[in-house]
Amino acid sequence: MELRWGLMADSFGLLLKGAILTLELTAVAVAMGIVIGLFMSLMRLSNVKILRGIAIAYIDFFRGTPLLVQIYMVYFAIPQLLQFQTPNNYQFIAGILALGLNSGAYVAEIFRAGIQSIDRGQTEAARSLGMTQAQAMRHVILPQAVKRVIPPLGNEFIALLKDSSLVSIIALQDLMYTGKLIVSRTLQPFVIYFEVALFYLAMTLILSRLVNYSERRLGVSDKR
Amino acid sequence: MISVKNLHKNFGKLEVLRGIDCHIKEKEVVVIIGPSGSGKSTFLRCLNKLEDINAGEIIIDGIPLNSETNVNAIRREVGMVFQRFNLFPHKTALQNITLAPEVVRKTSKAEAEKIAMELLKKVGLEDKAHEYPDRLSGGQQQRVAIARALAMRPKIMLFDEPTSALDPEMVGEVLGVMKDLAREGMTMVVVTHEMGFAREVGDRVIFMDEGKIMEEGTPEQLFNNPQNPRTQAFLSKVL
Repeated sequence: MELRWGLMADSFGLLLKGAILTLELTAVAVAMGIVIGLFMSLMRLSNVKILRGIAIAYIDFFRGTPLLVQIYMVYFAIPQLLQFQTPNNYQFIAGILALGLNSGAYVAEIFRAGIQSIDRGQTEAARSLGMTQAQAMRHVILPQAVKRVIPPLGNEFIALLKDSSLVSIIALQDLMYTGKLIVSRTLQPFVIYFEVALFYLAMTLILSRLVNYSERRLGVSDKR
Repeated sequence: MISVKNLHKNFGKLEVLRGIDCHIKEKEVVVIIGPSGSGKSTFLRCLNKLEDINAGEIIIDGIPLNSETNVNAIRREVGMVFQRFNLFPHKTALQNITLAPEVVRKTSKAEAEKIAMELLKKVGLEDKAHEYPDRLSGGQQQRVAIARALAMRPKIMLFDEPTSALDPEMVGEVLGVMKDLAREGMTMVVVTHEMGFAREVGDRVIFMDEGKIMEEGTPEQLFNNPQNPRTQAFLSKVL
């Protein structure tokens, strides 16, 4: 069968809609990942054994099992376990939940590395001035750590944007799912998947430029 | 002011401090000298519990140094200056000084800045208030670090080799600030290799080696007429 390149223009609108859903999904999951990651990294570094244990178990589980399995767990297994009737938009909730929980584990390790990269002398100076551990963390360590984690955090978000294509498996109408749908109707896999790939590429390129820009902006007071 | 009894400290199996007894009076300037690895920095760091101690007792200004609440109370009263300055790189000189008064003492921003400017003037750096640490020389950074410690209005100041990381031409400006402090009656404990400073400013000099106080006395006694052979050997190398 010949390649019908004209389909690229015809499917642009539909794929754009899918791409917007992909972006929304990733943005919410990223926000969730940052909140979870911050708490998990602080727990991971805590002196309290139980908190540390919970954080280690969480991080190990979500980094050590496939995202696809996690999506299935949230979408199919959790409703069975908790015996609840899934609402109509449960695909969307399950997709965000799975991506956010997964991302939280990776972000936790990024934050932990960032916090640990700050010189011990900084904590000692803050503590010697009478600050509590929490005050030192909030006013001295975290502001410096945030700058250092921006590049790896950016990479994590780009990875998450790409991994979000896995949610197409639970019929969530993201960019990938929309592409599959169009292919099944037109039988033009090359043209359509090529266009889908271009969409993902455009999004990741924009995202990586944004990361570079914010990295430069935040580097003002820290030129070393 | 500071009372230390039978202080022991180990790093794993290594005994760093092996029974230190020491009393420091108000307004006294005590200079601790000794070879590297003698435990002098560790001793200083024990005084505001940057190191946990294994045995013994430390009482500062009547407060025993044990529980976490005591530690924070004591750290507010005890200022510390580090060999490597440890200024906060994301804050200007002024913000470095105002942070702890605002966060710990809940001083208003305006009041904290007023105090900070006075202190910067005292260390001769009021024109550098809005510079970030990486724009300052080592000597300037250390003077800001001293001002930062003073902003908490400490009763005692601890100096951990404050001039060891400085280029030679900057040592003088930092020692100058420390001399002013001593003259104003600050209680000070100084670990240093600057024998000239010890001789000129110290009320008492302590010689430490192998985790113990080997000898102590006035600068004249210790530098001119050391009794302990180890002190004699050390001084013959550094003087």
